[in-house]
Amino acid sequence: MRLPIQINEQSAEPLYHQIKVQLRALIVSGQLEEDTLLPSIRELAQTVKCSVITVKRVYSDLETEGLLRTRQGTGTYVAKVGEQERDKHRLSVVIEALDQAVAAGKRVQCSEEELEGLFREAVRKHYDPGGEQS
Amino acid sequence: MSDWKAETAISFENVSVRKSDFVLGPTTLDIPSGYITAIVGPNGSGKSTLFRMALDLAKPDHGKVTVLGQEIGSGDDDALKQHIGYVPEEPYAHESRLKGSDKAKINGFWYKGWDLFRYQELLRILQVNDHQLLGDMSKGMRRKTELALALAHNPELLLLDEPSSGLDPLAWKIMIDLLHRHMDQGDRTILMTSHIVDEVKRLADFIVFMAQGKVLGFYEKDELFCSWFTYYVSGEGIDARDLADMPGQTGIEFAGMHTFRVTTGKAQDAEAWCTDAGLTVVSKSAMELDEIMAALLHGIGLETKANEARGLRR
Repeated sequence: MRLPIQINEQSAEPLYHQIKVQLRALIVSGQLEEDTLLPSIRELAQTVKCSVITVKRVYSDLETEGLLRTRQGTGTYVAKVGEQERDKHRLSVVIEALDQAVAAGKRVQCSEEELEGLFREAVRKHYDPGGEQS
Repeated sequence: MSDWKAETAISFENVSVRKSDFVLGPTTLDIPSGYITAIVGPNGSGKSTLFRMALDLAKPDHGKVTVLGQEIGSGDDDALKQHIGYVPEEPYAHESRLKGSDKAKINGFWYKGWDLFRYQELLRILQVNDHQLLGDMSKGMRRKTELALALAHNPELLLLDEPSSGLDPLAWKIMIDLLHRHMDQGDRTILMTSHIVDEVKRLADFIVFMAQGKVLGFYEKDELFCSWFTYYVSGEGIDARDLADMPGQTGIEFAGMHTFRVTTGKAQDAEAWCTDAGLTVVSKSAMELDEIMAALLHGIGLETKANEARGLRR
């Protein structure tokens, strides 16, 4: 299986973090169902061109978070993600993305007001696509 | 980030060799078991000599070499060699008059783990047949045959000296894939040398830099690539001297209009340093393996070698 994980080599974010965030999102969003067998460590390392050490860390961290489980000798599987768990992680992905967006704004010297305006605009665009502005 | 734990597959302890035209070491280097380690360096840096010492084809003047737990030269190593596969940089001239299939017979006789079906499968995957004399084969054909011969006894330790030399791009991709699948069984170790940046990127977990008989460093691949960056830094009225103290700095170039191009091997520290110094990072980009190599060589005053390294193939 080929996981839809995209790596940005030019990003300041360590590879380890990029892979972890994306894999976690795939599991929490339900895109990877319970009991899905993940690619072997070497296989995933090969597809994203990183070292197996990085993938090992990601797998073992997500296992600690309860999102993956390893069956001795057979491989790594997606664990059952409870509702509570899903909610917790669901928001963590959003918080992360917002955080990145704010950081991007700050880099180009956006003011707080400007950022809030942009945020409201983005919300309007996605939640009220046909709606007229009052 | 060093939370990987590994046994050692090969250890070089204070190894040195002195010849009239070449000095190696004293070098201490541990190759971790279960991973792919690539040695990278300009010609004549001593890579092949390390390989030959691991196989007892060359003796160090001083120091100790241990392979899969056994000290080399401490007695009978026939049993040890059962677990090793080796593709030398240059094929052995004395084998040129053998057919591939003859060498396969010899290997089949010698290696207890020899798997004829695996060998035939490997030939099929690599798209070669072994009926020709090794000496009559094209360079690429012979390379592929040698790879099949080295892998067919499923060795625990694989030593590959410039494995892809002579391979066309398609065969190269097949080889990369084969090696990954070989590793996927776990408990396998590959030590290789390579001049090809993309090959190291795709295969290696660890990278060892060598030059002029010395090991310049041993790095986990992802850590290496996220440490080396080129920055364009700008600040009102700054000059090159203001940037000299940037952590890990290995080179500063004027880039016009209060802006300098700086390379560093400590990207995170360097960025924090810029913020503290009130400098603006205009843009940044990750460095390629050949550029990192060049910067390391530059750092120890090997200018000509640094220029050679820049000629590594992308």
